[in-house]
Amino acid sequence: MSKDDILAQIENTIIMGHLDESDEGFDGDLEGTPGTIELVEKALKDGIEPGKILEAFNSAMDVVGKKFEEGEYLLPDMLAGAECVGEAMDIVEPYLMGKNEQKKGKFLIATVKGDLHDIGKNIVITMLKGAGYEVNDLGIDVPVEKIVETVKEYKPDYLGLSALLTTTMIEMEKVIKAVREAGFEDVKIFVGGAPTSPEFAKKIGATEHCYDAFEVVEKLATYKKAG
Amino acid sequence: MRILSEVGVKVRNRRAIDFFASVGCKTADGRVVIPESAVTRAISQTAKQVPFVASAGEHSFTVDAGSDGISYGTGGQALYVLRRREGKFLRSSADGNDLREILQLCEGLQNVDFITRPVEPDVDAENMDAEKARIFAANTSKPMNLANLVKPEKLDEVVEIIGGRDLLSFIACLVVSPLSIDDGAADKLMTIVEHDIPISISSCAQGGTTAPLSELGELSQLNAEVLAGFVLANAVKPGAKVLYRGIPITSDLMKDGSPRWCQPDSIRRLALAARMSRSYGIPCCGTAAVSDEKEPSAQGIAEKTLSWIFEGAAGAHYINSALGMLEQVLTVSPEQYVIDDIILGQIKEGLSGTSPEDLQVFAAASAERALSTFGVKVDDDIRREIGSRIDFIYDKKEQYTEENAEKQFEAVRKACTSSMGSNVFMKGSRRGLREGVLYQGKRIEGDLDFSVVDAVLAGSK
Repeated sequence: MSKDDILAQIENTIIMGHLDESDEGFDGDLEGTPGTIELVEKALKDGIEPGKILEAFNSAMDVVGKKFEEGEYLLPDMLAGAECVGEAMDIVEPYLMGKNEQKKGKFLIATVKGDLHDIGKNIVITMLKGAGYEVNDLGIDVPVEKIVETVKEYKPDYLGLSALLTTTMIEMEKVIKAVREAGFEDVKIFVGGAPTSPEFAKKIGATEHCYDAFEVVEKLATYKKAG
Repeated sequence: MRILSEVGVKVRNRRAIDFFASVGCKTADGRVVIPESAVTRAISQTAKQVPFVASAGEHSFTVDAGSDGISYGTGGQALYVLRRREGKFLRSSADGNDLREILQLCEGLQNVDFITRPVEPDVDAENMDAEKARIFAANTSKPMNLANLVKPEKLDEVVEIIGGRDLLSFIACLVVSPLSIDDGAADKLMTIVEHDIPISISSCAQGGTTAPLSELGELSQLNAEVLAGFVLANAVKPGAKVLYRGIPITSDLMKDGSPRWCQPDSIRRLALAARMSRSYGIPCCGTAAVSDEKEPSAQGIAEKTLSWIFEGAAGAHYINSALGMLEQVLTVSPEQYVIDDIILGQIKEGLSGTSPEDLQVFAAASAERALSTFGVKVDDDIRREIGSRIDFIYDKKEQYTEENAEKQFEAVRKACTSSMGSNVFMKGSRRGLREGVLYQGKRIEGDLDFSVVDAVLAGSK
């Protein structure tokens, strides 16, 4: 297979949301065929420049995004493509060390204490990684203290908080207060989850409220442009 | 049963783990695996008659697993209340005054058989249980379901305020799908069962995000989740007064993944969950008429009517959240309570006398009648849409084969052992979405006539 063929196949597997050999892909028929992970590993082994691989990622996600906007692709298709890129980036990243390829920003994310729900959080993580952000996921049921400690160590640009319960969304205010009192005024704090709202976000001092993962990516892009 | 005996449930609550162990369950890697024998024993032991006592005796009733009687009640934990003012609906955040108003309203509605907490009072966690109990005790004489118990140690105080544990019941949202028992909910379940108070064990799986989109897969997982609760409850107290509350809804993956509570795909799955419960011969807490609409509407009336009918026909004994609910449990509305009460009054008697063969015709006729009652002109387009929804509810879209069962089992196993379980289910839903697992029909439109509703509300003040 030529290098161009490999890159074209990488693009195609992302468009088809075919992560690896065990993944069934877009139509459910791709299991057993090389997925993005196998092809990216081969590409690196064959000496293809990491920058070219990133170009293939971007090109593929442009196609995925367009298909989603046109209604041909649904949310799971978008997610599958983003997951392919996110997972593959973890493989390519070490090859980029010292090169001029940078992540778009560091995003720390957690579901707050008392809440075990993570659907929305996981979609956000996948979409952000696919969009080129570095994401640190603290998981679910995360106490305030852990979030603040990680903010101190990890120094994220952004902090995302998720809650699905009316009883746990109040925890978000405690997190924001603790982060600010610890001196991290510049961290942009995003909140989301079914019971939350823009009014709630404003009340508790969050920077942004987002209804879904797409809004997170859109709003982050405005910060980059402004920056 | 394979899900329970091979995948198990994630449990962190030490006391719950000990109770599971006491009935032969083993723990490995943070998961409790439950053998079929433990499930069979729990089903055999669990109470088959559960009394719901009211302070006004005529409102008392008993859920009998062997009978087909149905009781309808409110439900929620809505955040907002929607009220009609000068022809428009205005939304406000719910508080204790709203709880009082709703209780007083439902006290007078003929087809509200029990009251489950619709909204929470706006007090801190320390005082929530007692304040809610005080509001309930002062404003309803119907059987009371306080739903949530914020602090298990407050239960004795709550019982004293209410006037006796016989007058109380609760709901435990025990499992966070897939197959993870919530620590706090486990504490509440165990405390309430120890006090011999009725409690519905609830799991609300969402096909496509927290469970397989496949109907077979979702129902299998959901069944495992609720039965795990039965095992725990009867380990705490053999003969526990618990009800099976499986809420298998779907996720709107055609748009944004939000839950679909009242579309034909969910109505079908909710009915099938009720049938599963009845097949075990145990008390069934159903869920119906949680509209996806943001405000009272013709669409809402149609989807709620079908939801009540099919949940009731499936054999649910105690149908929770059956009145007043909008926007996927986020909102309640006094106007909606009145609308729902009127329609329930229209369908209840007819439903009990309708044979399975005549159910489709009855459902269509009931939906048309409900719409007409509120001023909607039912034309051929609306009739076709109602018919299309009913057909979808009856349509089995997949084969219940060994091969399919194995595939769904593996999907559940993979999701439970993955850090991003929801991604497993979402990606696994792609083919099903294209094969039409989620109903995509037309909205039923028409302006509503609120004159009857306004009169009832004016009279209730």
